Amino acid sequence: MPKQVYDVIVIGTGAGGGMAIKTLCEAGLKVCALNAGRRLDPEKDFRFHRMPWEMKFRGLDDPKRRGESYGYLDNEYTKAAWEHEIPFTTAPGTKWMWPRCFSVGGKTNFWGRSSARFGDIDFRAASLDGYDVDWPITHDEIGPYYTRVEKMIGVASTVQNRPSNPDGSYLPPFHFRCLDRILEAGSNKVGVPYLPDRCAQLTQPHEGHPACHFCGECTTGCDVGAFFSTPYFLLPKAEATKNLELRTNALAKNILTDENGHARGVAYIDRKSKQEVEVYGRAVVVAASCVESARIMLNSKSRLHPNGVANSSGQLGRNLCDHLYGESVRGYLPQLVGRPPFPDHVGDSTIAWMPRWQNLKDPHEEKFIRGYSVYPDGGCQDFPGFATGLDGFGSSYKRDIKRRYPSPVSFGIQAPTLRSDTNYVDLDPEEKDPYGIPVARLHFQWDDNVLKMWDHSKQVCADVLRAAGGVVEDIGDEPEMPGFSLHETGTCRMGNDPKHFVTNRFGQTHAVPNLYVCDASVFLNCTDKTTTISILTFSLRTSEYLIENFRRGEHKAA
Amino acid sequence: MAGQGIQRREILRILGTAAAVAQFPGFSKWTFACGHVGNAVLQIKPAAYNPQFFTAAEYALVERLSEMIIPSDSTPGAREAGVAEFIDFMVASDPDSQYPFRTGLTWMNAHSERWFGKPFVDLTPEQQISLLEPLAYKDKTRPGEGDGRIFFRQIREFTLNGFYTSEIGFKELDCPSLKMYAESPECPHKDDPEHLHVSHPIS
Repeated sequence: MPKQVYDVIVIGTGAGGGMAIKTLCEAGLKVCALNAGRRLDPEKDFRFHRMPWEMKFRGLDDPKRRGESYGYLDNEYTKAAWEHEIPFTTAPGTKWMWPRCFSVGGKTNFWGRSSARFGDIDFRAASLDGYDVDWPITHDEIGPYYTRVEKMIGVASTVQNRPSNPDGSYLPPFHFRCLDRILEAGSNKVGVPYLPDRCAQLTQPHEGHPACHFCGECTTGCDVGAFFSTPYFLLPKAEATKNLELRTNALAKNILTDENGHARGVAYIDRKSKQEVEVYGRAVVVAASCVESARIMLNSKSRLHPNGVANSSGQLGRNLCDHLYGESVRGYLPQLVGRPPFPDHVGDSTIAWMPRWQNLKDPHEEKFIRGYSVYPDGGCQDFPGFATGLDGFGSSYKRDIKRRYPSPVSFGIQAPTLRSDTNYVDLDPEEKDPYGIPVARLHFQWDDNVLKMWDHSKQVCADVLRAAGGVVEDIGDEPEMPGFSLHETGTCRMGNDPKHFVTNRFGQTHAVPNLYVCDASVFLNCTDKTTTISILTFSLRTSEYLIENFRRGEHKAA
Repeated sequence: MAGQGIQRREILRILGTAAAVAQFPGFSKWTFACGHVGNAVLQIKPAAYNPQFFTAAEYALVERLSEMIIPSDSTPGAREAGVAEFIDFMVASDPDSQYPFRTGLTWMNAHSERWFGKPFVDLTPEQQISLLEPLAYKDKTRPGEGDGRIFFRQIREFTLNGFYTSEIGFKELDCPSLKMYAESPECPHKDDPEHLHVSHPIS
């Protein structure tokens, strides 16, 4: 019985996998996509405008389960979408939070939508400051792909003329709120930029998708698809070609290779039947998200790949980077005390940002190299969390809460780590998941450079808040745990030299020509910016490179 | 759902929240606070609540404390929002909170006995306030009341959680997410971006 051989097996349906699936299907290739979880139903799995009093635990989630929650994302409205069955371990001394959305679309269902481009200040950082190596790409080369992605998904922002944050093709921006105008004035006094974020949210209808109705529930799933996610924007296009077979509840176990060491398919566990299944393809795209892709590839051992598939450089799983997240400063704006409430919650916090302003002219101006960004936010939100910081009880307390309701502000840092020998993913030598597959083991420490950024941000944000006429109430102590940002990079870094990099500049692995990687694992490091739009962009480029290789006859059936 | 009878089933039918509320036996005031029937006030008198965790005496103290924290004054407070029921439900659902809560309530009554020779709920409002203020205000603390301050913070947090996640609490703050917007809302103070001369109508 001849076994079916697809053109491409794609592992993962997040930003990278979704873009690969759509691009490959539209080029006429037959794609079998594997997704570790199930399809989501927005009406059941998203908040869908449910109010806290409609929820059993008022949106706070079952207290008995809170210990296993991934914090703000994995809440009572969306908890069924997040992965809890597959464990992971950490090396002694490592703390790591690993929120995984294995449902179809992955984290694109719930992401923060901040969408700034990487620029040459990031690609050429090593040339500027001497640490690590340059990326094998320039903004000139990747810019056109960013533009195509921005037009595909719709990004709301303004032209800002800052080479460190290259401008793209934008929809009208979110308007500034009262608190933004006040903080902007303070920021300008201190010499820190305060600008509209690049928010991948539709301020007007776009490509058949409806405009946002400003309910502020973005990170608990959009009921109408007014921001990019794979299920709303990419899978329907792929499915329309009739070239896609999507298998859900398919947990990729390892990549199958032939006697020449080339990829020939993927073995996965059908989570419903618990049986191992093999699916065959002429090429394989790994897009399971940074740490999980490394896990799958490390688990893909064979005679020719004793340390995991395509690991001839020894760098598979290594060079793990993350964003340090933390609340640098918290306080309030007296100008807004006693004001009527304002809809500050729209855009679910992705309205303004303070993009990296450090080390732009002189790479060694600060005590740290590279730089970080800050996301300011506050105002009238669903819950008056600031009330626990006020003294008292009774009518005057109740009245104080109402008066102070529009006034709280906070500043959240987003700071990149540098690649380091101490930070990597490997397989736990003992622990296995319920399907017998070795689990990922994280090794991670914050480096001195990122901790200096964290300290620096506390002073600057306090200066900004005071210059804005605000009151500083709290300075950040400890940052959030590693992994909290969900912006891991680095486990399959791209580079021209096969001795030191897992993939080439197109995301094709050096050691296995028909194995490609389409997620943030190919990025050399984090930058001051988020990753999703860059994942989409690099995945588009990798997918077109893969298509070209098919056209040239590079990938034949086994 | 023992003891609730036809009256509660009728409430549930009207509210249409049977799927959610049916799991919580004894939720009378809380369904009252849901107000799903537009803004119409339900005329049905709520049935008495049977606590799942607290004893009747403990529950009465929880009621009194939560109503002191967020009182009914010119606007509804913890009583109307069914906060005590919420606290009982959450503590029943959270084994880690049960011992501290029970210990805290015991402390309140022992403290009340020491000062005034009676359980807390039997004191006059002025006496109750005089015991709560040193627990609640940093500049009024008294030595030897550390346990009370810790318990006060706990019950205040539960009260805030219960009140401000209710529809009554959302309306108290006029929470903007009760509405949706056709456009990205914009600061209207074009001539005063620093907001130095804006009005502060909420006094």
